[in-house]
Amino acid sequence: MVKIKRVLRLYALYAKMDLAWLLRDTTFAVLAVLADVITNLSSVTGVFLLAWRFDGIGGMSRFEVLFMLAYATIITGIFQTFCAGGNVGHISRRVGRGQLEHMFIQPMLLPAQLATEGFIPFSGSSNLISGTVIMIIATVNLGISLPWWWIFSLIGNLIVTVAIVLGKSYLASSLTFYAPVQAEEISSYVIDSFGHISTFPLSGMPLYLQIPLITFIPTGLLAWFPTLALFGRAPFNLPAWYPLLFAVVLWMIATYFFRKGLNFYVKKGINRYHAMGHRR
Amino acid sequence: MLKKESTDTTQWDTAVSVNGVTKVFTQWQRENAGRGIIKNLLNPQKKIISALDDVSFKINRGEFVAYAGPNGAGKSTTMKLLAGMLQPTEGSVSVLGMSPNKDRISVMRELGVLFGNRTELWWDHPISQSFEWKKVVWDIPDDVYKRNLEMVIELLDIGELLKTFARELSLGQRMRADLAMMLLHSPTLILLDEPTLGLDVVAKRQMIEFLKKINHENGVTIVVTSHDMDDLEEMAQRILMISGGKVAYDGSFDGLREITGNLTRFIVTMDGGLKLSLDGGKLINANKGVYEFEVDVALTPIKHLLRQLSDANGVKDVEIKKSPIEQVIAGLYASWKKEMV
Repeated sequence: MVKIKRVLRLYALYAKMDLAWLLRDTTFAVLAVLADVITNLSSVTGVFLLAWRFDGIGGMSRFEVLFMLAYATIITGIFQTFCAGGNVGHISRRVGRGQLEHMFIQPMLLPAQLATEGFIPFSGSSNLISGTVIMIIATVNLGISLPWWWIFSLIGNLIVTVAIVLGKSYLASSLTFYAPVQAEEISSYVIDSFGHISTFPLSGMPLYLQIPLITFIPTGLLAWFPTLALFGRAPFNLPAWYPLLFAVVLWMIATYFFRKGLNFYVKKGINRYHAMGHRR
Repeated sequence: MLKKESTDTTQWDTAVSVNGVTKVFTQWQRENAGRGIIKNLLNPQKKIISALDDVSFKINRGEFVAYAGPNGAGKSTTMKLLAGMLQPTEGSVSVLGMSPNKDRISVMRELGVLFGNRTELWWDHPISQSFEWKKVVWDIPDDVYKRNLEMVIELLDIGELLKTFARELSLGQRMRADLAMMLLHSPTLILLDEPTLGLDVVAKRQMIEFLKKINHENGVTIVVTSHDMDDLEEMAQRILMISGGKVAYDGSFDGLREITGNLTRFIVTMDGGLKLSLDGGKLINANKGVYEFEVDVALTPIKHLLRQLSDANGVKDVEIKKSPIEQVIAGLYASWKKEMV
């Protein structure tokens, strides 16, 4: 109970700090919000226009495609809101820059630090808000009746997808313990590059592309699979909880390798330190 | 290498205990010629560096210890081991009776760490925000926080900095703010790695006075590294010197002088034109009738030198002082380097 209270206090603290950071300058705040809105809209516009022109893509209707784009935007939004602060989500940057040592001297468990320090609900939530608005528009236009529990299914899927994104980031970032310079940006490549692909509907693509994209390179699990599963049409007749199973296995592997890397780090040390990038 | 002074540790509790610690790193080696590059590709060469080699020492609670040594001697490595940022290759480290790795959270509640080349302050926030962050993360009770905040504001003179963003502070101001933040949770042991790095004379003075005060009045154990030996001598009661990964000296500053010969400076002002020489004295400087000699008074008794000076013609003024510790240490480093070669 005490621990939960402390974690909530930390969330409140980081929220306050984020708001103070965003509002430190009016011009900056207005420009930051405007830039985020433009970026979010432009990121979904291309694929949606294609879906509109061809009346859907690969068996998915226009608004199913829009729903999928909204899903991907919300995932980015959750990641930005909860994990973007202090490069907690892009952990390879912190490892590669020798900044993990700042966390070692805090009297808190490392997972608790990682879970709270990335929280930037004001400067990081634009994707979450715009994604939610787009999703409401898409759902209304789909014209289907959904059961009351569907919203919980949606929330569960979103949590699982974010877990997959983080699992990928931490698994790839484990390499940074061994090659700090070369792998400093690996988590951003893993998240951003695969994130871009996740906004393309995989329906209609050949199997030899679809299968790798929901297994070895799980881009299809970031928006396409959950979207179809939420509408009761999970690909390959796989159970709707397949992404959950994938997330659990991925987290087990990521945790194993990250811990191994961390042990290597405290035994061998890192002869590198950059002052900037973990606190703003 | 040098003698080790005996220290009575029975009357105090131990704050830091380092037992037979060895810390080994590897360094990549490569020839810069074309053949070396190819050779490196097929068979990369690594050199094993012993940053610390079977190092053992104890620091008692309430002590103010200077941890010194030439570049690459293993000072920062030791600090990182004590702060739980690194694990030893061999041996064990105990901080306040706990293992910094296994009991990290409990140790960190009582430990303060400050590295001169890095900051714990939040860059884009006012200093007061960083302090508030520290209060929540360290879970500092309200009354303790308030008391410590008032103390650091007064002693470190940072009242006017509280609303200033960390990125807009000068180096000296930043160091004071960092030091203040480090003390908010009432640490019983603090580790300072080059805390006076880059500070001007005024900022350095403020920091030294403050550290002496919290050591003296609050009984805080302090371990500090610095390249500035005069600063260290002013602050610390004991100096632990490390060279080539080994403890080369552990004792008082006076003891260190005795080891290197009891070097003493004689500054003698002579009446115009008269020259002077001292038995066993090495002339360091002669300018406008002022002669500066360095004499090892362990070899040439001071009584003899004073007699010589009183018998000499034209002596107007005599000043006698210990040789600067910087010079003593420089001599030591040079001799250690020779020994290693």
